[in-house]
Amino acid sequence: MMKNVMEVLFLLMLLFTVHAKEKSYNPPEKPALTRCRSPEKETFTCWWEPGSDGGLPTTYALYYRKENSETVYECPDYHTAGENSCFFNKNDTSIWVNYNISVVAANALGRAFSDPVDIDVVYIVKPNPPEKLKVAVMEDKGWPFLRVSWEPPHKADTRSGWITLIYELRVRLEEEDDWEMHLAGQQKMFNIFSLRSGGKYLVEVRCKPDHGFWSEWSSTSYINVPDYFPREKSMWILVAAFSAFIFLILTWLLHMNTHRLKHCILPPVPGPKIKGFDKQLLKNGKSDEFFSALVVPNFPEASPSKYEDMLVVEFFEVKEQELMLEESNDLLDGGLKYESSRSDSDSGRGSCDSHTLLLDKCREAKEERQTNRDGSLIEKQIRQKDRKEEAISPDISSGRVKTWPSLYSPLPQYGSNPLDKQSSLEMAKQHSLSISSFLTQPGTKDALGLSYMDFCLSNKQNHVHPQTQVQTRSNVNISNIGHKHAPAGLHSPTTQYVEVQRVNKEDMVLLQPVLSRCGLIEDCPHLPKGEDYSKVKGVDYDNRLLLQREGTGEDMCSGMDQETNGERGNCYTTSTVSIMQKPTACIYTVMPIQEGMALTLNGYVDTANMGNLPSC
Amino acid sequence: MALRKTDGSKLLMTVVCLVSACSSVPLSDLLDRASQGSDKLHALSTTLSQDLNSDFPPIGRLIMPRPAMCHTSSLQTPSDKEQALQVSESDLLSLARSLLQAWSDPLLVLSASANTLQHPAQSSISNKIQELQQHSKSLGDGLDVLSGKMGPAAQTISSLPFSGANDIGQDRISQLINFNFLLSCFRRDSHKIDSFLKVLRCRASQTEMC
Repeated sequence: MMKNVMEVLFLLMLLFTVHAKEKSYNPPEKPALTRCRSPEKETFTCWWEPGSDGGLPTTYALYYRKENSETVYECPDYHTAGENSCFFNKNDTSIWVNYNISVVAANALGRAFSDPVDIDVVYIVKPNPPEKLKVAVMEDKGWPFLRVSWEPPHKADTRSGWITLIYELRVRLEEEDDWEMHLAGQQKMFNIFSLRSGGKYLVEVRCKPDHGFWSEWSSTSYINVPDYFPREKSMWILVAAFSAFIFLILTWLLHMNTHRLKHCILPPVPGPKIKGFDKQLLKNGKSDEFFSALVVPNFPEASPSKYEDMLVVEFFEVKEQELMLEESNDLLDGGLKYESSRSDSDSGRGSCDSHTLLLDKCREAKEERQTNRDGSLIEKQIRQKDRKEEAISPDISSGRVKTWPSLYSPLPQYGSNPLDKQSSLEMAKQHSLSISSFLTQPGTKDALGLSYMDFCLSNKQNHVHPQTQVQTRSNVNISNIGHKHAPAGLHSPTTQYVEVQRVNKEDMVLLQPVLSRCGLIEDCPHLPKGEDYSKVKGVDYDNRLLLQREGTGEDMCSGMDQETNGERGNCYTTSTVSIMQKPTACIYTVMPIQEGMALTLNGYVDTANMGNLPSC
Repeated sequence: MALRKTDGSKLLMTVVCLVSACSSVPLSDLLDRASQGSDKLHALSTTLSQDLNSDFPPIGRLIMPRPAMCHTSSLQTPSDKEQALQVSESDLLSLARSLLQAWSDPLLVLSASANTLQHPAQSSISNKIQELQQHSKSLGDGLDVLSGKMGPAAQTISSLPFSGANDIGQDRISQLINFNFLLSCFRRDSHKIDSFLKVLRCRASQTEMC
């Protein structure tokens, strides 16, 4: 029998070892005490986390030692608090005493000790959540609020003051995510006034001892708040007030910018852009004179033999009111005014002066040209011109002429020498600017009472420096003067008609009497054939064009340069042709033609010179 | 808070003097005031301990003296709720006062050594020790006033001499260990004081608080 027992045991051991060999068994891993908590400062519980059990059934034991004694006790209650826990009841709990606690895991192969933990019960208090949460809707002067009340957890003895609890509650609408927190202190009742709207509200409460941990949140309490909030009305009032405010601001802005808006919405009606159109004449009511003023003498297109020195001069206009405007000390303001008044109604301006209009025309003409570059140049010049006008103004002492010399139409190419073209262009440009400078002189200002002076200068040049422009007060004044007085309808017996033959290199406009076409105009006296007024001496203060008689051709007076009152050159005229003050029926278009270019290619200017109109 | 406490206790004294002629200040208010002070005291000591333990050598925990070595451990205090609730009011107050009194000297030592403490949070610790001292002083004054109202038994104070050396140690480890040990003793004692006063407050209170 012993043998049998031994065999059985042996077999069992074999099985055991075989089994053991298959799955390697180990002693248990070290367990760890996770936490200890006391809900009411009278009992406490400790929980641990077991390690690996090594494959074998493992038992856990908790041992503790109190502060003053060396006696080691084992946990009195492993079950009340659940798995892997140890519950210390009232008898086993002492406060203000340090417990040294450790857990031991044991299996068949060994034991493992956890790290010991020192605790004092008074520092590990975490109460149960408050109980019996009640929420009710109350009303305060038509405004609803929530009254929340609760009880402390039944185990916590707050009555004796053993444990002091403070409470906190939170509330939210059912559809919201964020809670609204309220600290309630030691009281067990709280009023929530911060209700924003009706609906279903959720309320929860929790508590904390004076020196301990917060409890878990209590179970949620639901409450339905009826929807009687007059707040919406006040919101509409707010919205209305706000929109009224915005409206006021908009109105004010509108008022500030009426001027600009007016121009934007109702642009000013452009005036007629007919060369020779004179408002004054129209007002005077003399239709005859008015229409005759529209007549522009044709330039003999074929006559100029040399084209190289010809300049095509286009119109630019001076306006009296603009002169007044621009007499401002502040340059910038003037410049600004210049800019702004530029955008004023352009009624009564010459064709070239309207920078919108002429640009189009100029562009049309440009297309006929071979190169596009010139066009861009001109545009650049236009813009530069605009800017330079402001720069010019400091040099002008009194007033400022509003010039539109930017209206440069492209010059048609006649196979001329480009250099000459350029230089003459420059000269022409200088001339044009000198006109403006001349016109700003005080003496001339009054004389510029006429509607406009049509003088357009077309060129192809690049940059003209303001200084040079200002300085050159050349004889191009001629043309201004000539035009100014033309529409007046008066004629002087001494008036002679000249036309520009050409401009030579010394910046002189060569004039020649208009012989061929004079007969077309009634008042056109005939010039003696022998006389040849080919040179303009200058313009005097009476705005009279001073011409010099000289031999035809080459004797040029060099007086065309500087002074606006005319440089006295070598030659002297025996008679002065005053064109300005006694306006004739003829209109002179003194237009240095470049390259013998027909005026046809210059915007408006050309149309005036087309053969349709009678010319002087 | 210290200022408030000082003002509070001064006000308390003034009020007591004034009112004692006419009527007595309700004890509950006095106790309420005192328990607020003790609450603050304990809270301060807790944060101090946390600051200190933020950078504490692990070895220190092993060789730290046991709490039984606190100089106030000789004072018999209740060790659970039943015992505590059986103690009379005057005894409770006496206990509180004794404990508080026992710490006036050690706090000076702590304050002095906090200046040379080798710890990253040294300045914060030093400031809090100063606050601790002030609070302790004002609470002591308040409790003195209270004891006058609660009978002769409340007047007795057990003497708990502080036998610890004035110097808490030379090297960093021993400095920190001794400092921590003293602080832990104080933390516990301040909790005791707070608990006793709150029990007293509830006993004297006529409100719904308790």
